[in-house]
Amino acid sequence: MKPDDVAKGRSAVGSEAGTAALHAAAVPGAVTRVARAGATLRPAAPFLIALIIWWGAWALLRPPDIILVPPNKVFSALLDLVRQGLLDAFIKVSLERLARGVLVGILIGVPVGWLLGLNEDVSRAAEPILRFFNAVSGIAWLPLMILWFGFSERTISAIIVYTMAFPVIFNTMLGVSTIPNRLPNACRTLGAGSLRIIKDVYVPGSFPSVMTGFRLGIGYGWRALIAGEFVVGGGGLGFLIFNARTQGNIAEVMGGMIVLGLLWLMIDRLILSSVEQNIIGRWGLMRT
Amino acid sequence: MTTLASTAHLPVGERIKRIVLPAVPFVLLLAVWGSAKFVFDIPRGILPDVISVFRVPFTLTDQYLAHTIASVQRLLLGFAVAAVSGLLVGLGAGLSRRFAEFIGPLSTFMNAISGIAWIPLAIAWFGIGTPMVVFIIWNSAFFLVLGNTILGVRLVPRVLEQGLFTLGASRFDVIRHVIFPGAMPHIVAGLRSGLGFGWRAVIAAELVGATVGLGQWIFIAQEFRRTDIIIAGAFTIGAIGLLTDRGILAPLERRTVERWGMAGRAT
Repeated sequence: MKPDDVAKGRSAVGSEAGTAALHAAAVPGAVTRVARAGATLRPAAPFLIALIIWWGAWALLRPPDIILVPPNKVFSALLDLVRQGLLDAFIKVSLERLARGVLVGILIGVPVGWLLGLNEDVSRAAEPILRFFNAVSGIAWLPLMILWFGFSERTISAIIVYTMAFPVIFNTMLGVSTIPNRLPNACRTLGAGSLRIIKDVYVPGSFPSVMTGFRLGIGYGWRALIAGEFVVGGGGLGFLIFNARTQGNIAEVMGGMIVLGLLWLMIDRLILSSVEQNIIGRWGLMRT
Repeated sequence: MTTLASTAHLPVGERIKRIVLPAVPFVLLLAVWGSAKFVFDIPRGILPDVISVFRVPFTLTDQYLAHTIASVQRLLLGFAVAAVSGLLVGLGAGLSRRFAEFIGPLSTFMNAISGIAWIPLAIAWFGIGTPMVVFIIWNSAFFLVLGNTILGVRLVPRVLEQGLFTLGASRFDVIRHVIFPGAMPHIVAGLRSGLGFGWRAVIAAELVGATVGLGQWIFIAQEFRRTDIIIAGAFTIGAIGLLTDRGILAPLERRTVERWGMAGRAT
């Protein structure tokens, strides 16, 4: 048997597990499709109730505008921001910063994670120091980064990269090191080269864990970005809401928060979980 | 965690390796830091002496203690309120699946904006100081606890519930013996990540909205270019984060997961 056959055999087993997982997933999927009409309305209900409570609290207490404004004012503040072209400009600034930081974080985190995952001595040596610096959140380095790079883009990038790198490193390491030794060994006995083993065993085997690292890292990085924009400024959604507060414009603060939440849900749900599910499903590594 | 007792059976070389290896990067870091400062003559406003950083808790003891205690108190207070309220609402979710499914999407959305994004609004509501910071910690942790509780409740297999009902159990029995214990590992996982996000949020909240606390201290130190205070503060932040997570919540999580017979998860 050639390594090709091994790879095929593995993928056959994988696809079996994959279809089993798909069957399991198909049941709730079918249910949602049938009850779609009702289901689209139901998740909206708690938001409607929250809106009513918000509006009711405002109508009852009539707080000054610098404490709380009714939903319609938030909505018109958002409309104003869109009309001025500020909202999409700020969204663009924030997303670009996030993308840049995430990219560099991945470029650093994945190779380091691989190195640690493949070599036990290296990982034993490096883990405590990495755990320690992971616990020192990126936000805590903001003051030092300001001294080093000033109130600049580089300061924001630095803390996003810092925040992002650790979860990626840990989860890549976990993914690579938990692959059972017999898998690469079996391929090696059958004549597979190192490159082949990396491509067909380590990369797919560590993938789910690497993706978990990305998701976690982007989650932490997103919060670091907001904090960075509070302090450093220079545009972005964090700057928008922080600046709006100093001007006493609560409608803009709340509108900005809603946009932040929606944006985060979109990043998390649409991009990350769909990529994760597609690839993991296809490779028969479905985890629930 | 490797304890000394568990390494006793290992060969001497291996035992030395276990102690020496983790120390190597720390020694290297200090060596590079010290020599870089010496070789490139980096000014104090950019990088402090290694020794001056470790001297901060001793030379500025009063300030150091005051700021650290302020931050830790806020963390504990906010986290305690979040744990209790998260569990109470979570119990509500445990009492009724319909309620859990109902508030699920709202809790997911609130979780997406929890913590740091609330800081400006919290400053508007509470002004600068402890109530604002405590609110931010509560906000960070509460929705994580709640979201995880709801997830846990949903993942309890219905068969177990129905099995108990068939055997004549009351609604209360089912909640007590099936739903709550079944959701427990997720609740603890929520508490743990809540504390992690909460501690990060404390620092962010203190940076921009407090008069005392470690976050505020290192932020002010930046204006005076006191890099020794900044790094000492950052290390303290890391040490407290590590202690609360590894010392309290990771063991709690492990014990819960083991107790309820769930498969081990990565920590």
